[in-house]
Amino acid sequence: MKRHQYRAKRRTLLTGATGAAALGAAAACGDDGPAGTADDPIELSFEWWGNDDRAEITQQALDLYQEKNEGIKITTNFSDFPEYWQSMTTRMAAQDLPDVFQMDYSRLLQFGGNGMLLPLEDLVDTSDFLDGFLETGYVNDELVAVPIAGNTLAMMYRTDWFEAAGVTIEPGYTWADYQEAMRQVTQNLAEEGKWGGGDFAGQYHFMELWLRQEGGSFYTQDGTALNFDKAQLTEWWSMNEEINADGSVAPIDITTQWEEDGMVLDALGSQILWDNFLPWFAPTIQENGGELALAAPPSKDPNNIGLYLKPSMQFVIGANTEHPEESAKLIEFMLTDPEAVKILGTNRGVPATNVGRENVEIDEIAQQVLDYEASVSQYLTSPPPAPPAATGSIEVKFGEVYEQVLFGELSVADAVDTFFTEAETLLASEQ
Amino acid sequence: MSASPPTAAVPQTGAAGEAGAPPDRGSRGAAKRRSPGVRGGERLAGYTFMIPWLIGTAVLTVGPMAWSLYLSFTDHHLIRGGSWIGFDNYIAMFSDPMFGRTVRVTLMYVALAVPIKLVASLAVAMLLAQKRRGMGFYRAAFYMPSLIAMSVGIALIWKALFSDDGVQDSFMSAFGWEGGGFLGNPSVSILMLVILAVWSFGAPMVIFLAGLMQVPNELYEAADVDGAGKWQKFVRVTLPMLSPVIFFNVLMETVGAFQVFGPAYIIGGEAGAPAWSTLFYTVRIYTLAFTDFRMGYASAYAWMLVLAVGIVTLLMFRAAKQLVFYAGEDK
Repeated sequence: MKRHQYRAKRRTLLTGATGAAALGAAAACGDDGPAGTADDPIELSFEWWGNDDRAEITQQALDLYQEKNEGIKITTNFSDFPEYWQSMTTRMAAQDLPDVFQMDYSRLLQFGGNGMLLPLEDLVDTSDFLDGFLETGYVNDELVAVPIAGNTLAMMYRTDWFEAAGVTIEPGYTWADYQEAMRQVTQNLAEEGKWGGGDFAGQYHFMELWLRQEGGSFYTQDGTALNFDKAQLTEWWSMNEEINADGSVAPIDITTQWEEDGMVLDALGSQILWDNFLPWFAPTIQENGGELALAAPPSKDPNNIGLYLKPSMQFVIGANTEHPEESAKLIEFMLTDPEAVKILGTNRGVPATNVGRENVEIDEIAQQVLDYEASVSQYLTSPPPAPPAATGSIEVKFGEVYEQVLFGELSVADAVDTFFTEAETLLASEQ
Repeated sequence: MSASPPTAAVPQTGAAGEAGAPPDRGSRGAAKRRSPGVRGGERLAGYTFMIPWLIGTAVLTVGPMAWSLYLSFTDHHLIRGGSWIGFDNYIAMFSDPMFGRTVRVTLMYVALAVPIKLVASLAVAMLLAQKRRGMGFYRAAFYMPSLIAMSVGIALIWKALFSDDGVQDSFMSAFGWEGGGFLGNPSVSILMLVILAVWSFGAPMVIFLAGLMQVPNELYEAADVDGAGKWQKFVRVTLPMLSPVIFFNVLMETVGAFQVFGPAYIIGGEAGAPAWSTLFYTVRIYTLAFTDFRMGYASAYAWMLVLAVGIVTLLMFRAAKQLVFYAGEDK
């Protein structure tokens, strides 16, 4: 029998909720006509992805907004990242998007390029954003998204576990060094259900990083094709064969059943991820007695880590909204109202506005993120162009196909062929 | 699905009732009275009463089907539209690695779920066909799961039952099973859905039950006189007399199994987790249409399913000519 208790947590319920929503085939909502009095309030819907903690503080901020703006009622909904996008794409098809919702850079073109997002120029006050942050919000020269915060990739690891194993993460360490580090930590833990890290090869963002480290990119400049060949993908997907075989990383049949992040579950000692996840994960991990640190991700070339600063999340307004101005006001409120900024804190990352930076409470964890970003700022290179509209689907497919390899259902060669066929079809279908 | 068996399934006691004769005796007189032909006014009234149904069918079934047939010959993008590309979608399917995969998963499911479900429902129906006290309660109780089995709630419970250390894992581990929960094990995960299907055997069970009640007692008595044992009576009397009902159930269950979606979507998600092992054909259609927005290709997928189910149905009708016994036929 295997360890690892099933955790029937929120995500389980949300999977069901998403399913129900999908089965119900996008029932229309939306009331008629604007009114905006306390008796007959304007209803705005606002949705995001994230966990319970994020939901709690978001709700607090929204309560404050409703207090300040009588006559506006906000209905909310949130779910996990994958479920969130499954539901959003379905609702996009039904032209039934929320008034305001959280956007991911990788999905921006899919929604913006299909005219599903309201242009925000002249609607949202953009004067307060930090330099360089707004640029990633443009689609076809129109501003359709404003950044909530910025982030970049990092290596997050449990210093308590790493130190106990006598493993240090030195600047300039390579991918092979990282694999060896995970192996040693796992061996030192010698505890069932705990590993030094997880398999990272199923994340297309990490392969992008790996490609950027040798000057490459995931997509061609015009976003119409993959910019790597089968040999490169084969190399990437074969990389973790050994650490999987000797049990240095958490096996796939266990990780697929996790309802939460492996580090939050106290099962993983490290992973590559976006640095704004630190404030999100840290509280639970600290409760479990863990200590965390951020380092630059592994690289092939110590002088080129391949990192770039991208918006961690963006706020957008659905083009089908009946209340563009109220929606815009809600966005402004969350990004620039000092009180709201205080409540929301750094849960979504360190804010991208001046007011935000001045008013946000920088606790120890947020400071760690800022320190990390400062430490790698010299390595940050210009971001790739907004990923093509098919990226969302390609990202999902990338993970699914690699899962076949881990389960032994496909050989790496077959998996590579499958991915190329699928990705090329998806890219072609969006042109 | 309607819960009534085809009228042909009901053997007429004693008399040589022909296949297709109405099952209830009361209506026979009425039919006789009206037999010379329906008057014009009545016909008009009949069609008038059908109007709501006709509109519903046209708008909600025939219309969308015709539209999707058209779409299957285009590269229609859900948001941006598309243009006519002839048979390209259908041709593309053959070089689509996901196509074969989803077909295999679906066929595996049909091959497992349909026979097991039918055998189970027949067995339970035979138990419930006895005349005992409180039988009504048992019949209702066994029918109950089928009312809720396709719900989201049950699918979620199923996930919990079949996870690592869930009920199934704990139980089977006691007998030396080391495969963990079905939920995380791609080689057996489809069994979760098969078991769910079997558990919801209410509909075919009720039909079997009705069929069993119609088997004339004289036949069993005659078999008794001839010295037939229980098994012989089952094979020589029950099965032949029940064969029209069996045929109906096989047909309906097979067609239904090809189209299973809800539980598969909730348990395995769009990824058919784990490792595409629950990636049903219908789930793939859904993903293509509503996540990848490739409506044209998804429509082609859907029509391929229509074609496949049509062929399977046709084959079954062919086979039925040999295998199904209608009381009153000379054989």
